[in-house]
Amino acid sequence: MSLKECKKEIRSNDMDLKSTALMKLTYLEMFGHDMSWASFNVLEVMSSQKYRHKRTAYLAAVQSFRRDTEVLMLAENQLKKDITSPTPTVISLPLMAIPHVINPSMANSILSDLLPRLTHSHPAIRKKTVVTLYRLALVYPETLRPAWPKIKERLLDEREDPSVTAAIVNVVCELGWRRPQDFLSLAPRLFDLLVEGGNNWMAIKIIKLFATLTPLEPRLIKKLLPPLTKIIKETTAMSLLYECINGIIQGGILDGVEGTAEGEEIARLCVGKLRGMMVIEEDVNLKYVALLAFEKIVQSHPHLVSLHQDVILECIDDADISIRMRALDLVVGMVNSDNLMAIVGRLMRQLRNAPIASSTEDPANDRGRQSGVVPAADSDDSDAEESLRRANQTSNQAPPLPEDYRICVIRRILEMCSRDTYANITDFDWYIDVLVQLVRVSPATKLSPVMVHDELSDFGIPESKGDVSYEIGYELQNIAVRVKSVRREALEAAQSLILVDRRAQMFPTSGNGGQGVLEAVGWMVGEYANLLTQPDGVMTSLLHPSTTQLPSHTLAVYLQAIPKVFAGMAGQDQISWTPERRTLISLLLARIVHFLEPLTTHPSLEVQERAVEYLELMRLAAEAASSTETGTDQSDFIDPPLLLTQAIPALFTGLELNPVAPGAQRKVPLPEDLDLDTPINSNLQYLLQRADLETISDADEDDVYQAYNERPHIHSEAPMTAAERLEVSKSEPSSYQNAAEEEYLDPDILARRKAERRERYKDDPFYIDPERDRDSGVSTPLHNILKSSNGDELDIDSIPIMDLDLESKDRGFSEQRGREESTRATVKRKPRRNFEIMIDETLGLDEPTSSRGSSRPDLVRSSQAKGKKSLLEVDSSGLGSLSLEGDGNSKLDIERREAEEAEMAKALKEVERLRLEMQRAAERIHPKDAPLEGTLVKRKKKKTKTAPIVSAEVAGEVVEGGGEVVTKKKKKKVKTGEEEQADGGPAGAVDEGVVKPKKKKKRRQVLLDEPVATGS
Amino acid sequence: MINAVLVFNNSGQPRLTKFYTQLETSVQQRLISEIFTLVSNRPNSSCNFLPLPPLLASSSKSSTPTTPHNDTPSLVTYRHYATLYFIIISTSTESPLALLDLIQVFVEALDRLFENVCELDLIFNFETLHATLSELIVGGVVVETQLDKVVDGVKAQGRVAKRPVNEGKGALGLGGFGRGDGVWAGR
Repeated sequence: MSLKECKKEIRSNDMDLKSTALMKLTYLEMFGHDMSWASFNVLEVMSSQKYRHKRTAYLAAVQSFRRDTEVLMLAENQLKKDITSPTPTVISLPLMAIPHVINPSMANSILSDLLPRLTHSHPAIRKKTVVTLYRLALVYPETLRPAWPKIKERLLDEREDPSVTAAIVNVVCELGWRRPQDFLSLAPRLFDLLVEGGNNWMAIKIIKLFATLTPLEPRLIKKLLPPLTKIIKETTAMSLLYECINGIIQGGILDGVEGTAEGEEIARLCVGKLRGMMVIEEDVNLKYVALLAFEKIVQSHPHLVSLHQDVILECIDDADISIRMRALDLVVGMVNSDNLMAIVGRLMRQLRNAPIASSTEDPANDRGRQSGVVPAADSDDSDAEESLRRANQTSNQAPPLPEDYRICVIRRILEMCSRDTYANITDFDWYIDVLVQLVRVSPATKLSPVMVHDELSDFGIPESKGDVSYEIGYELQNIAVRVKSVRREALEAAQSLILVDRRAQMFPTSGNGGQGVLEAVGWMVGEYANLLTQPDGVMTSLLHPSTTQLPSHTLAVYLQAIPKVFAGMAGQDQISWTPERRTLISLLLARIVHFLEPLTTHPSLEVQERAVEYLELMRLAAEAASSTETGTDQSDFIDPPLLLTQAIPALFTGLELNPVAPGAQRKVPLPEDLDLDTPINSNLQYLLQRADLETISDADEDDVYQAYNERPHIHSEAPMTAAERLEVSKSEPSSYQNAAEEEYLDPDILARRKAERRERYKDDPFYIDPERDRDSGVSTPLHNILKSSNGDELDIDSIPIMDLDLESKDRGFSEQRGREESTRATVKRKPRRNFEIMIDETLGLDEPTSSRGSSRPDLVRSSQAKGKKSLLEVDSSGLGSLSLEGDGNSKLDIERREAEEAEMAKALKEVERLRLEMQRAAERIHPKDAPLEGTLVKRKKKKTKTAPIVSAEVAGEVVEGGGEVVTKKKKKKVKTGEEEQADGGPAGAVDEGVVKPKKKKKRRQVLLDEPVATGS
Repeated sequence: MINAVLVFNNSGQPRLTKFYTQLETSVQQRLISEIFTLVSNRPNSSCNFLPLPPLLASSSKSSTPTTPHNDTPSLVTYRHYATLYFIIISTSTESPLALLDLIQVFVEALDRLFENVCELDLIFNFETLHATLSELIVGGVVVETQLDKVVDGVKAQGRVAKRPVNEGKGALGLGGFGRGDGVWAGR
């Protein structure tokens, strides 16, 4: 309704009404109502003479014009007009609007109007012009070249208004980090400004700029140190203090003065202040920025940060999510093998204990705490401490964890643990337990049907897919593949995850969280089926009716796992083929067939294909099982059908699967004798035809039937060469050997480790002492699983287990414990078990992409995807390539125009001189003809340009009518035609040198014409 | 540099939106509502810095500790005054604590201009609100931090209208907007 009214009003001729309507529209635009249709009306109001109207229109333009607004071209003139207005307030309007609407072509033309404004008598205009020029440079970097000397002049002028200087410093700071080398010359002036002080905002900017300059000019460090120390000691503004410290750290000043007495002092000062921000000040903002500062220095000065590990770890449990996030980012950078377990433990506890956030959290308690605006002080120098004061009220209740935070924590845990191919992990049993626990706390996912469909396309890549549980699964799988010594344990975990009857225990109680892990787990139980302790249970779970409800990519993995597990169960050739065994196997096969049958019509092609393939195989196996006679006598050893013991297992066993580096495939050298062009069999067509005929003639069902069931045939049917089988027989024992190798820990060492562990974890809330457990009668499901599935062969006590019964423990106590533990860990190094971790297989040298975190290809991927531009981002990369010092090749319009004008003037002068000369010469030779023929040729000349043949004709004509001095005249005439400014007066061929490059093309044509003319 | 300045009230209705890059209106609205969800769930005791909203987070900081790009917005600073939230989205070249001071200067300037400013003033004097901001920030770069100069700069543009006394306090939201016509026409 209101919008309609506005539409009517904006079309009226009354400017007041129009402008009011425009303002209403601008207001409504803020609420999301499109006003792009009114862009022309904006222009109309903009051109009004009244300032009030103008102001409304400019605001509307700023708020509503977009890149594709068509009237932008028309607005340009109005902008130029208003920039040159005599009234300062009017000039301000385009100045503040230009940054919002500018595009490269506009930047080019507005620049000439903008530059004089830098010397406007009004400081407000000057400072806004500086900023506007900066925005011009962002869209069209070349504009900075003419603008920069003038801006620099303003900056160096000591009588300049401080506001203008501050604005210039702001701009220089923005420019500075792109090309610091161009701004080194300004250092003395900036240094003076810093020492003079007065404006904290400017001081902060100068310090930030210096932080980028010091790496280029080490001498600056010595100069900067005294004033910075002075500021740190004296300033009342917390923001300035903080930025000083930040600048000192970031600018590498600490390194520069290392070893000197001054250096000691400043290092002590900075670190002390930062720590103070974390603990002494009761200000959460300071805590946040201190973490920010720590995060910046953790890469370059890890030792400085590790000194404050205690306070930083506290922040992981802070009530404020923002602070937690910062601490989390920081912690990922400072993790090492000593503190990894403590840090991960903290995070795990957080995930387990915090309630899951409800998105409709009532913000009511936030409101109305402060009434009215509370002005703190009068100037911007107001003490940060005072102005940032907030009512401090911490709630005792653990804050609910938002889902994305939850996901973030899980990702960070995985990232920390898997860094550098598990360099920090000292105990893989522990890590496996962590992963199993993570599945339990992973948040529910919202998989839309569309997403499921999309996932089909990138099938087989264990990518995040937005669901963090896929990453957990990937980790589990990765460990099973890479760390042979804990493969058994990893399989144990996988088995416990896949068992349907355990599902309630292993996965979150509500929602479908963690289901993504099943994909990797399904692969694991299949690939390492021989390590399963409960293959029957696993098979039952794989064939469970609920399996068909899984996402198609997981289901496909399951389908692949089924025959693998089956091969493991049915493949023993050492056991006699008794009636019991036959019955068991037949039953199993019947179940598999029953499960697979409906899946042959599954909508997902991948699932369908696998189901069809394995269904056929299983049917054959069933046939083989039922047709093979069993021994009647118990003592008699009857060979089980070879299809079961040889053929099917042979499908799935082979060389060990090893991790391969992402770039390795590319590095495989091409065999020299590889020839892909010559056909392998030149008689292919003939062979194919014959094959067709044969199949038709041989289509005898009995034959096929027999071929599958007769024993000798089965051998040849097995898709395996003798050489391959040799490899299999070699590789299998070797894997066993490896597993045994890992058991070299003698009983006494194990016992010691056990005792040590019990001692070490005595107070650890994550560890359940089995003895104590038995007493209390409380046990974790995980514990049960391990106990029941492992039997006695595994050392249960050596596995630290997440305690699920934390409620009884005081939280504060456990936090304290955690801290103590982390400090103790640095003192007492735990004995490291020697894990052999397979690294990615590759050829030749590692490529940079695969060098870091190669165990997590998804990380590599994400860094590659970084090129994407962020929302809201103003891209300043163009400035990076612009050098302010030297003169670039491409010149700006304004410069070019100046140069061109000078050149043109010179050329005109020359032409004029030559014209006169030629005229005189012509008059001397042929006083009458010259003007007449000049016009004639000029007319014909048009044709000359179109086609050379025509020009030949013209030449002929000219020759006919020309007279005696054909060649010479021809030259003159053609030239005359070319000189566009010439009015028929003959100009000589001599002026070729001065003709501007623009006309080059035409001139070449002329030269081409001449031989024709002379030839005819 | 500063990428955006937003002001909205406790129920998420925008009072000022200024984006220093051209952005689709619908995206603007989504960003506002995302930030509002983030900010409204925070207890008063928490710090004044927000984690990046999903719209901004997706393309910037990932888990890899690569050097942060100085062009990407990475900092969301806010302050809460009575019924209003003031938000500044900026890149890492700005100082977080200084931005908090900047918001304070902005609010104090408004307070001086309107004499004990309240949300209603900002609704009826939409233009003055924008004018004040553009005295502080032009094109994402801070041009002035001195309170007096900001106030003088706005006053130089013309008389600042006072809040009509007879308008009640029920004027929050669009209902107030309809009744605001008279005020605009009168100036």
